[in-house]
Amino acid sequence: MNPDFAVQVEGLTIQFGSFTAVDDISFSVKKGEIFGFLGANGAGKTTTIRTLCGLLTPTKGHVTVAGHEYKEGDLSIKKRVGYMSQKFTLYNDLSVKENLVFAANLRKISKSTHEKRIKELFAFLGFTHSDTTLVRDLPVGLKQELALAAATLHNPEIIFLDEPTAGVSPAARERFWALIRQLSAAGKTVFVTTHYLDESEQCDRIALMRTGKIIALDSPAELKKKTFPESLYELEPMSGQSQSAILSQLEKIKQSGAALEIQPYGMRYHVIVKDSRQWDLVKEQIKPTFSYKPTLPSMEDVFIRLVEGVDR
Amino acid sequence: MTFDFSVTRTLSMAKKEVRHILQDPFTLAVALGFPLLLLTFFGYVIDFNVKNIRLLAVDSDHSRASRQLMEVFESSQYFKLTAAPSSGQIVHLLDEEKAKAVLMIEPGFGKDWARNRTAKAQVILDGADNSIAGTILTYLSGIQAAALKKLSGEEFRQTITLKTRFLYNPELNSQWFVIPGLTVVIIGIISILLTALTVAREWENGSMELLLSTPVRPLEIIIGKLAPYILIGLGAVVTVYLAARGLFQVPFKGNHLLYLVACALFLGTTLAQGLVISVVARQQALAIQLANITGMLPSLLLSGFIFPIESMPRFFQIFTSILPAKWFMVIIRGIFLKGAGLLDLKTPFIALFIINVVLIFIAAKSFKKDLEP
Amino acid sequence: MIQKIINRIFKNDTLRGFIRKEFIQALRDVRMRMLLFVMPLIQLTVFGLALSNEVKNIRLGFVHAPNDIVAKHLADRCFASNWFIRPRETNGDAFQWIQSGDADAVLVVPPGGLTKSIEEGKGRLQLLVDATNAMRARSVENYVQRILIAYQKDTVTTTANPDRFSLDVRVLYNPSMETAVFLVPGVMVMILCLLTIILTSMALAREKEIGTFETLISAPVRTWEILVGKTLPYFILGMIDVPLIIAAGMVFFGVPLRGAVWEIALSSAIFIATTVSVGTLISTMAKNQQQAMMGGFIFLFPAIQLSGIMFPLDNMPAVLKIFTYLNPLKYFVTVLRNVMLKGGDPMVVWSNVGAMAVLAAAALWLSFKRFHQTLD
Repeated sequence: MNPDFAVQVEGLTIQFGSFTAVDDISFSVKKGEIFGFLGANGAGKTTTIRTLCGLLTPTKGHVTVAGHEYKEGDLSIKKRVGYMSQKFTLYNDLSVKENLVFAANLRKISKSTHEKRIKELFAFLGFTHSDTTLVRDLPVGLKQELALAAATLHNPEIIFLDEPTAGVSPAARERFWALIRQLSAAGKTVFVTTHYLDESEQCDRIALMRTGKIIALDSPAELKKKTFPESLYELEPMSGQSQSAILSQLEKIKQSGAALEIQPYGMRYHVIVKDSRQWDLVKEQIKPTFSYKPTLPSMEDVFIRLVEGVDR
Repeated sequence: MTFDFSVTRTLSMAKKEVRHILQDPFTLAVALGFPLLLLTFFGYVIDFNVKNIRLLAVDSDHSRASRQLMEVFESSQYFKLTAAPSSGQIVHLLDEEKAKAVLMIEPGFGKDWARNRTAKAQVILDGADNSIAGTILTYLSGIQAAALKKLSGEEFRQTITLKTRFLYNPELNSQWFVIPGLTVVIIGIISILLTALTVAREWENGSMELLLSTPVRPLEIIIGKLAPYILIGLGAVVTVYLAARGLFQVPFKGNHLLYLVACALFLGTTLAQGLVISVVARQQALAIQLANITGMLPSLLLSGFIFPIESMPRFFQIFTSILPAKWFMVIIRGIFLKGAGLLDLKTPFIALFIINVVLIFIAAKSFKKDLEP
Repeated sequence: MIQKIINRIFKNDTLRGFIRKEFIQALRDVRMRMLLFVMPLIQLTVFGLALSNEVKNIRLGFVHAPNDIVAKHLADRCFASNWFIRPRETNGDAFQWIQSGDADAVLVVPPGGLTKSIEEGKGRLQLLVDATNAMRARSVENYVQRILIAYQKDTVTTTANPDRFSLDVRVLYNPSMETAVFLVPGVMVMILCLLTIILTSMALAREKEIGTFETLISAPVRTWEILVGKTLPYFILGMIDVPLIIAAGMVFFGVPLRGAVWEIALSSAIFIATTVSVGTLISTMAKNQQQAMMGGFIFLFPAIQLSGIMFPLDNMPAVLKIFTYLNPLKYFVTVLRNVMLKGGDPMVVWSNVGAMAVLAAAALWLSFKRFHQTLD
C-alpha cells in the first residue's frame, strides 16, 4: 500500500453473469489529483466507480481506497469517501435543507457540525436561494451543485462523481468544474467520470475506457503528445470564400498526398502532417483560401484516434 | 378542430409500453398468474354452508329424555357435539373460542317431561359472527320440532310439506356462485391497479415532460398506453373463464359473445378509471392507494359479490349504482348460470354503458387538461 | 434490555433522520394526509353502514287463487317477517318470473289450492329459488321453512303439545346480531393492513426506482439502520391510525370495547410490526414500485380470504388451513374480535399475539438476509 495513492486498483474484473463489464484493469490515483474517467456509455466507467465506493462486489482483483482494502460489509471506505451517482441523488419532494440534513443524518454528523458545514458549503457554492425551496423547483445545474454539497458534507478525502454534468447547461458545467478545481486545491482527491471530451482537459490525469478495458492513461498533454507525434495545424477559411472553393481546395491537398489527414473541426479544419517539410508543401497550396496556425490536438482528436486505433 | 391522430405514433407508444411490460416479466406473470391464484383460493376456501358447528353439551340431568335431546342435535349433521363435564366456566369456553354454542340441560329436565310440564333446555350462542349465529338459529327451530317428535315418540303430523327446487344451481354449490363473481373482482383489480400506475410512473420518473416535448398527441398517449393493458385484461378474462369451466366445472348457459362484450365494456370502465387515478395522483404510492379505495375495495365489498346489495340501506343501494362492478356482477351471474340474454339484462347493460362513456370522457378530459397548457 | 434497544433506536441520528424524512415525504402532500387519516374513517363508515350479510328484502312471488285461505295466511306471514318483499307482478309463469330477474323465489301451491290439498291430507308447497347466489338461496329456504313450522305450530293441534318442550336461546356478545359489530373489527384489520403493507413495500422500492437507493447505500450505514429507518415511520403512522379507526367503530357503530385497552395496543403494535416487516420483505424483492405493489397484492389477497374476516374458516380444506397459520391477519382479527366483543381472554390474546410476533421476527430476519447493500 503506497501512502501517496488515494485509490489503488489491481487486476479488477467485474462480471454480471456471463457479461464482463470491467475486464482486468489496474490503475492508481494520486492524492489531491483530479482523475478523469473517459469513455462512451457502457464502457464500464460507472461499474468501476460503483465498485470503488463499495456498491458492487469485485469478481476478481484488489481495490484499496483511502488506505483501506475493500472487504464486504466493512464501512471504513464508505466513511472516507463521498459519492454522487449518475441518477437523482437528492429527493425532489424534500427541500434543500431537508435533503442536506438527511444526508448528514445518514452519516451521523452531529447537529452542530452539520449546521456549520451546511453554511460553509452554501458559501462555497454561492447558494443564495432559500433553503426551504423544494429541490424539484431548482434548475438542473443547481441540483447537481447541491448534490455535490450533499456528497461532501462529511468532508471526505476522496470524492467520486459519476457524470456530474450530464444534461447541464454549458455555463453551469463551467461553474461545476470551477468547484471541482477548488475542491482539488483544498487537497481533496476528485475522481470524475464524464463523456464530455472537452471537460476531460481539466483533469490532471485521464483514463480512457473502452469495453471494460483502460486503453490509455496519462495527463491530457502527454496523451496528446503520445497519440499525435505528428504536427497539427488549424485552418480557418478566409472571409468571402465560397464553400465550393474551400472544399475543392481541401480535395486538392488530399490528392497531393502532402497531408496525412484532414478533419472538420467546427467551422475550421484540422490538418495532420508528418513533419515540417510536408507542412511547407501544404502551406503553398492553401495560401489564398485559408489562414492557419499550429495547434495542439483536442481530446476529441485523441479519443477518435485511440478508439479507432483499437478498432482497426 | 382537426382530427390529428397518428396510428404510427400510437403504435410506437404501445410498443414502448409493451417493451416496458416485457422487460418486467414479473408483472406479466402476476397479471396472468394472479387471477389463477385468486380463483384457487376463493374457489376452494369459500363455503357458505355452515356445518360441523362445535357444540358443547352439558348434561346435568342424565335422564333418558336428555340423552334423546342430544341425539337429536347429533343426528342433525349440523352440530359436532362434545360433552362438557360440568356447567361451571361455560361462558369462559366461548370466550376462548373453544366452541360456537353450548347446550345446557339442567337437572329435572327428564322429570319435567315425564310429569307433562314444560321441559326446558338452554342454548347459549356465540353471536359475534352474526351470520353464523343466524344460521344456527334457523337450524334450532328445526331441531325443536324434531326434538318434540323424538321425545313424544309420535309422528308430528306435518300438514304442509315444503319441496324446494333450487334453480340454476340445484346442489347449492358455493363455487358456482363465487367463481363467476370473481371475474368481476379480478378484472376490476388487475386493470385498475396496472393502469393506475402507468401514467403516474411517467410523471414520477420525469419522462412525461420528455414525452410532451415530442409531437405525440394526448389521445395517442392514452390509447398507446392502454392498448397493452386491454390485452392483458382480456388475457385475464380468458384465464378466469377457462379455470371456471375446467377447474371448477361451472356451467355456462349463456351466450359467449354477450359475455365477451360485457367483459370488454367493463374492462373499458376500469381502464378509464385507472387512467383518471393515474393522472390525478401523479405519484405511484398515491395512485395505488386511490386504486384500492375506489377500485379494489368497492368491487370486493360493494358489488354484491359477497354482501348482498339488497340488504344494504336504501342510500347505499342507490349509491352502488355508480359502481360499474355492481352492474357487471349482475350481468356475469346472469349469463353464466341463468343463461340470461341481452333482453333480460338490458338495465345493467345500459347502466354499464353509460358509466363507461362517462368515465372515458372524464379520463380523456382530465388527461388533456393535464397535458395541454 | 428494552431500554437499551429504545435508546439505540431513538438516539441514533440515522434513524431519526429517516423518520423525519419519511414523515415529511409522506405528509407534505395534502392528498396523502387525507389518505392516511381521513380515508380509513370514511372507508370504515361506508363499509360498516353498507355491509350486511343478513339476507333481507327477498322478492318472493306467490302463486295462489284469491280464495285460497291458507295460502293467503302464509303469504301474509311471509311478508310480515321482514325477510320478504313482494316482487313486481308478472304475466308469465313462476319460472319466468325468476328468469327475468324480477323475483328471487316463488312459492307455488298445488293444483286446486293449498286449503283444499290440506283437507285431503297431502298439503304440498313447492318453492322455486334462484340459486345463482347459493348463500342467499339457502337462507330463503330456511326462512320459508321457519315460517311454515311456526304456522303449523299455531294452527294445527296435535296430540303432542308443542309447549311441552322449549329451547331457550341466549345469544352472547352480539345479542341483536348486527353485522356491523362483527364486521367492523375485520374491516379495521383490512384497512390497516392495506395501508401499512403497501406503503412500506413501495417506500423502499421508490428509492430504488428513482435512484436515491444508490446514495443511501453509499453512506456508511448498517443494514438494520436502513431497514428499521424505512419501516419505523410507517409503523408509527399505522399506530396513529389504530385509535382513530377503533374510536370510529365504537362511536359510529356501537361496537363494544369489552376488553382492556392495553390488549388492543399490544396486539395492534405487534400486528403492525408484522405487516411492515412483510412490506419490507416484499420491497427487498422488488425492483420498482409496480413490482412492490404486485408483491403486496399477492400477499394481501389470499391473506384477506384466509383471515376469517369475510368467510368462516371452519369449513376450509385441511391443506389450505395450513396457510391460515402463516396469516397475521387471521391472528389479529381473532384477537380484535375477542377483545372488543368478548372481553379479551388472556389465552386467546397471548397465543395469537405470540404467533404474530413469531411471524414478524421471521419476516424481519428474512428481509435482513435478503437485503443487499450492493447493487449486483
